[in-house]
Amino acid sequence: MKYGEEHNLEVLFTREQIQARVAQLGEAITRDYRGAGELILVAVLRGSVYFAVDLSRCLEIPFILDFMGISSYGGVSASHGIVRITKDLDSNIAHKNVLLLEDIVDTGLTLNYLRRNLKTRNPASLRICTFLDMPARRIVNIPVDYCGFTLPDLYVVGYGLDHHERYRNLEVVAALK
Amino acid sequence: MAVITISRHFGSAGELIARLVAEKLGYLLVNKAVIAENMRLCGILEPEFAHFDEKKIKFQDGEWDREMEERRRHYLSQLHNFFYDLAIRENLVILGRGGQFLFQDFPPALHVKIIAPLQSRIGRVCRLYSMDESAAARLITEQDRDRETYLRQIFDGDWLNAELYHMVINTGITGPEEAAALIVTAACLRESAGEIPVHELEERLLEQFASPADDGLVGGLLYDAGGNVPLFAHHSEAKFARMLDFYQIKWLYEPKTFPLEWDSEGTVTEAFSPDFYLPEQDLYLELTTQRQKLVWKKNKKIRRLKEIYPDLQIKVIYGRDFQGLLKKYSIEEKGD
Repeated sequence: MKYGEEHNLEVLFTREQIQARVAQLGEAITRDYRGAGELILVAVLRGSVYFAVDLSRCLEIPFILDFMGISSYGGVSASHGIVRITKDLDSNIAHKNVLLLEDIVDTGLTLNYLRRNLKTRNPASLRICTFLDMPARRIVNIPVDYCGFTLPDLYVVGYGLDHHERYRNLEVVAALK
Repeated sequence: MAVITISRHFGSAGELIARLVAEKLGYLLVNKAVIAENMRLCGILEPEFAHFDEKKIKFQDGEWDREMEERRRHYLSQLHNFFYDLAIRENLVILGRGGQFLFQDFPPALHVKIIAPLQSRIGRVCRLYSMDESAAARLITEQDRDRETYLRQIFDGDWLNAELYHMVINTGITGPEEAAALIVTAACLRESAGEIPVHELEERLLEQFASPADDGLVGGLLYDAGGNVPLFAHHSEAKFARMLDFYQIKWLYEPKTFPLEWDSEGTVTEAFSPDFYLPEQDLYLELTTQRQKLVWKKNKKIRRLKEIYPDLQIKVIYGRDFQGLLKKYSIEEKGD
């Protein structure tokens, strides 16, 4: 059985479509941040890594690439506790422009926490760039400044998005049926 | 109040059988023509109706039309309201459109699946539509895929799951008259097996799936933004509150009741209390643990709420969305 055949995957965005869209985002970000001061790209682990790598290659301005990870709900025992940072930034973002990179924005719960957390560090600006946006699932309103593709409520995998840690490495985005 | 749902593979004579059953029992046949007429009254006209009716979400060159999706949601809401309102008043034979899911837990309902071998269906489609075999095969594949995906997208259900149906009839080896007779017999047997009082059926249609708060409280007491310990009506609400706590989002549980209807003396006759209020977002959330098929009444209330209080921000998290959320975080929710 070939990789992916145990699930019925329907390709939504091909490799070429993704590359073209990421390049467009890169152009827009380059245009917006050119001459605007130091830029720090904050990629949220682990899903946005593929997007961050491809997008950063499309930028024609200097930047620092950094990573941040937080725990997921359900990832801790019975009491669940509260969200915690599993990997903090190596950079000091105070007075610098921060662009938060996400693989997908759906409920907005994770992003809401990250946004509030990063704002306390006093960046010069904080914007959000997501590869996928699923507004139908939104619980908390979050302003998305750059968006690759908008999707209806579908379970999708590939290009960093996983299903029980599978399919992250697909070069396409597919709906898991 | 009797409901027979007939799900059918394209070309399996499901429509003909549904018509025969409706005629024999004197039930109202709810097919494409009836639905189209009702949708027309709701302002959903052709070609929009044809675009939505049993059709999956489509992407155009990798783009998804958000406005079209809003219209599609409106269509589905109107369609399911129509089924529900009709089922209160009439005996129905519902052809396709997810009837087996909408009325899954409605005890008097009889759910039937009509299937047939591909070759038999190709032959029937060739005759009906005067087309050659390859065109018929393509049409069958396309129609079945549309219906299958539609049901998965709307109800998260697999129409091939035989457990959904009381009967699966193969019209490759059963004629339409015989199939209709089998269904009529089954319907009569079910009817005579036990009559359920009308008021009880109505209650079941409007079932709230409410159960005492229990496993949502595992992990200690929950405190709202005011430091109070709310008494949740449903364990899912407690689970949801715990998730908001996890992400450090302040919440209040049912802090406000909004009047919706008044009598001639100004006394409130209907009101609505959204489950959660997020003060930092100035947002009300209504969490419904009902399955998609039983949310019409709540949807009506929320529509009324938005009419009377247009500035109020409210979002509804449906049962399917909530289950998806729990699935995303790998938490198993007990069935309601």
